[in-house]
Amino acid sequence: MRAFLPMSQIPAYRQSLVLIFAALVAVPALAAETPLFKLVARDGVFEPTVIEVPAGKRVRLEIHNEGKTAMEFESRDLKQEKIIPPGGKATVTIGAMKAGEYRFFDEFHEKTGQGKFIAK
Amino acid sequence: MGNALFIVWRESAEAMLVVGILYAWLRQRPDAATGMRYLWGGVAAGAALAISLALVMLGIASSLSGNALDYFQLAIVLVASGLIVQMVFWMRRHARTFRKDLESSMARNARAANWWGLLIVVALAVGRETAETVVFLYGLAAQKGGIANLPIVLVLGLALAFGTFWLLQQGSRVLSWRLFFRVSEMLLLLLAGALLVSGIEKLIALDVLPALVDPVWDTSRLLDDSGRIGGLIASFTGYRARPALLPLLVLIAYWVTMWTFLGRTGRPAASAAKPATAPTAGAAREPLPRAEHH
Repeated sequence: MRAFLPMSQIPAYRQSLVLIFAALVAVPALAAETPLFKLVARDGVFEPTVIEVPAGKRVRLEIHNEGKTAMEFESRDLKQEKIIPPGGKATVTIGAMKAGEYRFFDEFHEKTGQGKFIAK
Repeated sequence: MGNALFIVWRESAEAMLVVGILYAWLRQRPDAATGMRYLWGGVAAGAALAISLALVMLGIASSLSGNALDYFQLAIVLVASGLIVQMVFWMRRHARTFRKDLESSMARNARAANWWGLLIVVALAVGRETAETVVFLYGLAAQKGGIANLPIVLVLGLALAFGTFWLLQQGSRVLSWRLFFRVSEMLLLLLAGALLVSGIEKLIALDVLPALVDPVWDTSRLLDDSGRIGGLIASFTGYRARPALLPLLVLIAYWVTMWTFLGRTGRPAASAAKPATAPTAGAAREPLPRAEHH
């Protein structure tokens, strides 16, 4: 039962320990050589809509919102979520993908804003 | 315009669900006046949180840079998920016993402890998604001619949000109290589960936890989680077309736990006291009403 304590009931110092640990893990991973890909979003239009990435390797994705409206880059397949205001950019790091297809979309323009990674 | 309104509604639906259910529930209580103060306090705090988060997202305030915002959002979803569950336990306990509780002023004082839990859960529910609405509306306003559209979207969006709230209140009148309570409990538990899944996924994305197997299966042809309907279902239930094993296991464990403690109507209150004994959360201090020990 104790295992099911809500986060709020874990003492604050333990929560910060978790965060520090997380940061220690995340920073070296970021520093390692990771290929960078670029994605441009313009009000629900992705360019490119298909991004080929190497399988089994972490990649970084630099998303530029060149549209006039805000966008939310989201990929349930890759567990990414990033809101980007018009004219803004953001970089996300994506864990190694097995060969296959991984969809992403713009949650503010989901009708047209759909794209995918193809890991080879 | 339709798309903008849909987004405003979708982003406000979570807040409306939490606020609407708590409002309907509090209204039934003899100490409603106190509870309402905390409820609206939570809404105000949530609005403040939303605006500060939005400023960070827009890059206007850069006190939280890069990963820090991710970790902050992670903390918000996990805390919100835990507090919603706690709220359901709390409501369940008091739905059955509050008349007896009121006889003892001590119990009434003790209950005050959870008003803060209520305030926080409301603030997080309101703040989390409203921040995205603010960024979205900002983008709309920044658009050429967008300023003209903004008041219309704002008014209609608020009307939609209020409509959702009103529907919930009607639900509490039309349905029997027991049924309304059941349905809202289920909606809250589904939402908490969805938040939990999203928190675990953020931890995987941040490399803190392993995905184990990813994906376990693919049901995107049956129900796509990247579309409008599927996306909505995903945000409110934790559904994933291509789930990773770890969040899936966590969700299963979550529902088994909920079913164990809330599913059997015979003795939910006795078990409900247990998760509430840790020190920090407000409700925790509340002693289990004696009447509950059989």
